[in-house]
Amino acid sequence: MKRSHIMSLLLVAILVGTFIATFTSTSRSVGFAQAANIPGEECKVSGTLVREQPVIYDPIVDPTKTVFHMEDKSGAKCKVILEKAKPTGLENSESIDLYGAMVDGEFHATEMLMKCPSKYNESNHVLSLETDESTS
Amino acid sequence: MGIDYLQEWTLLAWAGRFLVALAFASAVAAVISFSQGWNEWGKRAFQLHAVSTFAVIALVFVLFGFHRYEFQYIWKHLNNAMPMRFILSAFWGGQEGGFLLWMFWHNVLGLILLRKKTKWTAVTMATLSGIQVFLTSMILGIYFGDFQLGLDPFLLLRDAPQYAGLPWTLRADYLTAFPLFQDGQGLNPLLQNYWMTIHPPTLFLGFAATSVPFAYAIAGLTNRTDNSWMRPALRWSFFTIGILGTGILMGGAWAYEALSFGGFWAWDPVENSSLVPWIMSVAGGHLLLINRNRKKPLALFTTYYFLILSFLLVLYSTFLTKSGILGDTSVHSFVDSGILPQLLVYLLTFVTLGHIMLLRPGKWRRWTLFAIFTLALACFKGYAIETLTLFLLLMATIGIKAYRTDIERTEGEDSVWSRDFWMFVGALLLLVSAAHITWQTSLPVFNHFLEPWSGTLASLGESWNSDLLRDLSEHNLAPGTDFDQTYHLVQVPLAVLIMLGIGFAQWLKYKHTNIGNVLKKIFLPILVSMLLTGILLWQFSFEWWEVPRVALLFAALFAVASNADYIIQLGKGKWRQIGSPLAHVGFGLVIFGAVLSTSQKNIISKNQIGDISTLNEELNNREDLLIMEGDTLNIGEYFVSYRDRYTEGIHVKFRMDYFDKEPRVYEPGEVVFFDGMVFEALEDHEASEQFTDDMEDHWMFIPFPNERQAKTARIWESGVPGEKQFTLEPRIQLNEQMGNAPEPDTRHWLHRDLYTHIKWGRVTPPETDEEGWMGGRSHTLQVGDSMLIGHTLLTIDSLRAIDDSEKPNRGLLTKDLAIAACVQLKNKDMRSQHEPLYIVRDSLVVPDMFEADDYGIKMRIETFNPQQETLEMTIWEHISVRRDFVVMQAVLFPLINVLWLGCIIMAIGSGMAVFARWKRDNKSTAPKSSGLSDE
Repeated sequence: MKRSHIMSLLLVAILVGTFIATFTSTSRSVGFAQAANIPGEECKVSGTLVREQPVIYDPIVDPTKTVFHMEDKSGAKCKVILEKAKPTGLENSESIDLYGAMVDGEFHATEMLMKCPSKYNESNHVLSLETDESTS
Repeated sequence: MGIDYLQEWTLLAWAGRFLVALAFASAVAAVISFSQGWNEWGKRAFQLHAVSTFAVIALVFVLFGFHRYEFQYIWKHLNNAMPMRFILSAFWGGQEGGFLLWMFWHNVLGLILLRKKTKWTAVTMATLSGIQVFLTSMILGIYFGDFQLGLDPFLLLRDAPQYAGLPWTLRADYLTAFPLFQDGQGLNPLLQNYWMTIHPPTLFLGFAATSVPFAYAIAGLTNRTDNSWMRPALRWSFFTIGILGTGILMGGAWAYEALSFGGFWAWDPVENSSLVPWIMSVAGGHLLLINRNRKKPLALFTTYYFLILSFLLVLYSTFLTKSGILGDTSVHSFVDSGILPQLLVYLLTFVTLGHIMLLRPGKWRRWTLFAIFTLALACFKGYAIETLTLFLLLMATIGIKAYRTDIERTEGEDSVWSRDFWMFVGALLLLVSAAHITWQTSLPVFNHFLEPWSGTLASLGESWNSDLLRDLSEHNLAPGTDFDQTYHLVQVPLAVLIMLGIGFAQWLKYKHTNIGNVLKKIFLPILVSMLLTGILLWQFSFEWWEVPRVALLFAALFAVASNADYIIQLGKGKWRQIGSPLAHVGFGLVIFGAVLSTSQKNIISKNQIGDISTLNEELNNREDLLIMEGDTLNIGEYFVSYRDRYTEGIHVKFRMDYFDKEPRVYEPGEVVFFDGMVFEALEDHEASEQFTDDMEDHWMFIPFPNERQAKTARIWESGVPGEKQFTLEPRIQLNEQMGNAPEPDTRHWLHRDLYTHIKWGRVTPPETDEEGWMGGRSHTLQVGDSMLIGHTLLTIDSLRAIDDSEKPNRGLLTKDLAIAACVQLKNKDMRSQHEPLYIVRDSLVVPDMFEADDYGIKMRIETFNPQQETLEMTIWEHISVRRDFVVMQAVLFPLINVLWLGCIIMAIGSGMAVFARWKRDNKSTAPKSSGLSDE
């Protein structure tokens, strides 16, 4: 089994090497404040849609530009320019992950993931609201 | 409370809960019986468990069939509008149904295992029953104070804790009183798809099947002198590989056909976590192949460990996707439903079992159990993460200890040129691949482990000035979004080696081979695959950095060619031998098709400039194309036209016509209508834009068409665009509760697919006032600014004050102060100047609406800032001038059918291999096994 040992050791070495290599490629998850400190550098910001501000998507002007405001986890708000068509369900999203970089105080996102209230979520408020109306 | 609720099927709820409890109790009884060796009792208990589980499933189906919305599970996953053919999808749309499906398959597999009594029956069935105990607990739905054990599929809506105490729950007639309870919420529209009917059961059968080799490995560890467990384990391993592989690819096909992310694989954590158990099953299955006939086992520990690991990874996958721990890194995992602790206990129990069984019975096992017990106590004291870390270290220690001393190790060397050795190397490569994917997928989990060390890491990071440590201290790692960086960088080279191994090792014999002969045999496959790679390089364009990718394409082709050659040379008529090479051909085609169609996909809707560019200089089409109803745009080798839309059921379908780029050709004798007259073509000609241009030279007027002419006459169409090739109907599925979901439509050819989907389209008419005006958006504009309003380009040329002499003509008073904005309006057909006014009378602004009827635009200046020369204007657009439009994306996937073909071949090959092995094993159990390899 000696040869197999050498193979295994070699593979473990490759494994460790690649993990370290890919570690550097993982996006850094930051807030808007930190993103502003590293302008132009790819990072990830998570947060929620600011519903008081409109989501602007005017396909006639640019079918791949959606503008909205997001509040990150620390509560900082920032204008986001998403370089995609408006994703379905953005207005109802629960949380948003943006991948992109800060440019001139605006976050330019190239990729976006959303968590939408799915059917697994308790639609608690829906039930109580509707029945309140019908009982009153 | 004593309320007599009306029209509820409460009795069925109790029946269901009783059956679940019975299933749980009988599973516990089966574990006890089998582990004590009372096989007959165990068998009865397991059968009782299976029957009650099937009854639970049947009962849930009955509730679905009768639309019993008083049950939370039904209310959440069904609605009246949903066709009954989606009842299966609805059934496993939620966690409870998923667990039931999984239990169902375990029961089927268990009943199959029970049919033949062997010396391994007791331990394998005890293990399987143990798994069932945990799975059944997931649907118990019992509360201990705040702690919830399982999700009850028979929970009544009014009993759901989140509605406790709401007024409607106290009304006896709530089911009839509120319309809300006469219809359910319905299944996510994306799941209402026939793929959703077949993908989950296949995948779950694959998941369930990993438990059988696992159970056999555990059984093998209880009797270490006997390796006969390997034969049945081998069959089941390859059954798992075939089914799980098919299930995963079905998921890919579903994503590709019905979801709109534009591909079949997105390295999503949910996808990854079903792929990883498959990879480990492949590795474990091949190690079994090596060891099944050897007197001196090779890598016996690894064989055991990989089989155990593939099942543990299924549990880990379940934990990741069902506990909600992935949070927002996955688009389609479940959100937390409060069963995280339970899933974790399930996972850790089997991690413990798998590792402890590796040790020989004795004091190490006892000490380990004692240590785990201590850790569990510490965990209850609130050091969850710390104890979990210690637990994992403990498991690693046990693993190393077992490897060093407890499992038989082979001394002496195997020949390098043996199938055994290269299969072992391949298995290790698969382990690296699986480990890497697991690592990337688990980053959100690692964050939880890093959290307690945050402070330490931060201060270390400061003192060593290390960015890496500082990043770690923030414990918010996430996988990168660049697949090339995150996955392909490691996976592609590994896959190259594995594919080369598949092509090469097939020709090697077990024990020892003459390498010269092998090299001669693989010469032709190498030549063929090099030739094919050459054709690829010539047909497609690859960048220099894609060298690994091209290498993988070559390696995959080599694997296909080599295994196909093997079938031709050695498999003649012996269909029992060709299962495995056939499966390898299939796998090679899967990899080839996946890599080529993904890396060479061509987004043809990219960077096309259509006719709307005249209206807007800023039009920037990155990957998506805006297309107006009736317009025809240039797209790749086609013209595409958005004809119209129509609504069918819950779908809004958009008809996109694809036309040839070549001008339309009319042949002599063809008959057309034009302007109510009939013409016949005199000769071959390309049609021009206008019929009048062609009429004199190419057409003959037919005043009295005969029957043939009248029958064949079509309406004349201009040369550009060319002949209509086909129509695709991408659609948007309407769903009020979950939001509208786009679904693609794909045109399939043998050699490629054209995939089209609507990125954005209006599904409801825009809101207007009574006169039909839309919008009323406010814009801040400066002199010189332009903006697009519908089809009209509006430009502010200048501002000027209105003279006193002009005022009476414009209906103004002399005391008024008025500013006119000189506005230019321009659309495709016309251009004109207008002067909306900003009027101040007695220091009050007088609102003045300006209508440009020809353009369907009206506007009003709201404020005027003389210092900056800016205006704030509100602008309305009239519905009559609005043209419908959509934003679409079109992608060409070359050779994607190779992927699906490979999938089918792989499934058939695996099936043949399993069947052949089953036949052979059945024969060889009677006489003593010859102990020789089969090739």
